[in-house]
Amino acid sequence: MRRFVRENSLGLVFGVLFALALIGQAFAGHAAFNQQQVADGLPPISFGRYVTSSDFGVDVAENWQSEYLQFFLFIVLTVWLLQKGSPESKSLDEAGTESDKDQMVGVHAPDGAPAWARAAGWRRWLLSNSLGLVMGAIFLLSWLAQSVAGVSAYNERQLSQLQDPVSWPQYLTEPEFWNRTLQNWQSELLAVFSMAVLAIYLRQRGSPESKPVGAMHSSTGVEG
Amino acid sequence: MAALVAVTATALVGGCADGGARRDAVSGVAVRLLTAAGDGDGAAACALLAPDTVAALERSAGASCAKAILDEDLPAPTDVRRVDVYGQWARVVLAGDTEFLAAFPGGWRVVAAGCRSRGERPYDCVLQGG
Repeated sequence: MRRFVRENSLGLVFGVLFALALIGQAFAGHAAFNQQQVADGLPPISFGRYVTSSDFGVDVAENWQSEYLQFFLFIVLTVWLLQKGSPESKSLDEAGTESDKDQMVGVHAPDGAPAWARAAGWRRWLLSNSLGLVMGAIFLLSWLAQSVAGVSAYNERQLSQLQDPVSWPQYLTEPEFWNRTLQNWQSELLAVFSMAVLAIYLRQRGSPESKPVGAMHSSTGVEG
Repeated sequence: MAALVAVTATALVGGCADGGARRDAVSGVAVRLLTAAGDGDGAAACALLAPDTVAALERSAGASCAKAILDEDLPAPTDVRRVDVYGQWARVVLAGDTEFLAAFPGGWRVVAAGCRSRGERPYDCVLQGG
């Protein structure tokens, strides 16, 4: 048990932190929603009703979509794009999808490799791109969820201000939708930009996200 | 992935599936308000108003809601053309009126009635809370 926890501590800790943050968001969001209800002369709603509301849904989904977009872009673009001196980049002569030998597929697959790494055709292609595909799919689903929950939350506010609701296609052209979307995208892209560039010159001893402390600033694709 | 499906389902439920029962309840209250006011039953009409709307009416009229609401120029009930329900709020569009309602513990209550569209600006309403 202790060994399992130690060997999986990264996933376990982030899973727990995620759950705690989501629960905290639910309580804070519920309190904020009810503050507005009282200000509008309306009764507070229950916690259960809030966490199944479109208001909570859009707040969750708008952050999820941008996180998965960030990782999707990072995973896919780093196949081809390079950053000299960054541990987030491959070596400067490795841009592209690389050879079968480098990727250990087909006849180069070692014992214990996933079966589809040895297979030919669509199965090898699917395994070869599965991380990007799943991240991209979750991004699109989250963005769809944001738009669906978003139009409902937006229309609830419209009605509370005695204004007309809008349809889902109309909502996709509303500044509200793009403001929610782009404010999340810009922060995620800034984080990737910062990580790729700051890691050229800065170090975090022992972290695989950093170069070794003594590595040259110009060393590319070296993780410590 | 399961969590994402749950959130997507929540979004869809919150976004689209305000079922027929809620719509019926909302349109029923909207029509009953106009019917009661038209029949001269001020008390019954006021029982369907949100508390802030009752207070605003009594403040502006300087009389009880049951009396004051009969002096308001509310239209007669007509066919319900459209009902929109989003979370705690709803809008009912009748042939001759538009009403805005909110959810209360006792059911839907009318926040604003006798409303006319002003395009991008909020509706102009004969009866309005707050």
